[in-house]
Amino acid sequence: MPLMEPAAEALKRAQDAGIDLSLIDCNLALSYEERVQRHQSALDLMLTLREAGIAHAESAKTAPEIRGS
Amino acid sequence: MPNLQKLLQKFAEADFDFVIVGGFAGVLHGSSYVTDDLDICAALSPENIGTLRSILRDANPVHRMTADKLSFMDYPAPSTAVANLYLETDIGVVDVLGNVLGLGDYNRLVKNSIEVQLGGHVCRVVSLPDLITAKEAVGREKDLLVVKELRAIAAKRGIDVPPPAGSA
Repeated sequence: MPLMEPAAEALKRAQDAGIDLSLIDCNLALSYEERVQRHQSALDLMLTLREAGIAHAESAKTAPEIRGS
Repeated sequence: MPNLQKLLQKFAEADFDFVIVGGFAGVLHGSSYVTDDLDICAALSPENIGTLRSILRDANPVHRMTADKLSFMDYPAPSTAVANLYLETDIGVVDVLGNVLGLGDYNRLVKNSIEVQLGGHVCRVVSLPDLITAKEAVGREKDLLVVKELRAIAAKRGIDVPPPAGSA
């Protein structure tokens, strides 16, 4: 058994799990600052979408077709 | 809206020793997974807890795992050491861990940690091999999926990591 994991095996396992290896390449081309900024943008979007989803679900509960009016 | 960048900046600006761990460390290493909290490892001595209070004073920190969201400014009592702190602040959630499963305490983590420049300050981040070890120690499905990505990042960067447990 090798002492360290062969790179090719690690990449194949990631790809088989559905991980987009090209995204890794994009991230590794960024500076640490840029990675943090990109992540904050993604987090902002995720939370905005989550709030929109919650608002939509709430409004759907009171939709006329549900109220029966 | 939580801002982990601003939250981290508060710690980075203060005279406080910590190592970034968890999902945010993964981000710094190149992971695409989004995390909505900041995990750091630090020595949670009574003195350091006092320093944390100074850092978070303006951010309304509370113990988010307590039913009444007790204020961190009041609890724990002075001269009390704790194992971990699970805090919610006005600018985001931060977990301050005295010990990281699979790795150890701050002194252990800092040995292999890397330094990164963020916002004009030097921050310490858990090394990629150590982050992989920690995530595998936790062992939840989501952690093991992230580990696959982290191992791919290590492979692309030529960083040696031990093979996964049980691999042939």
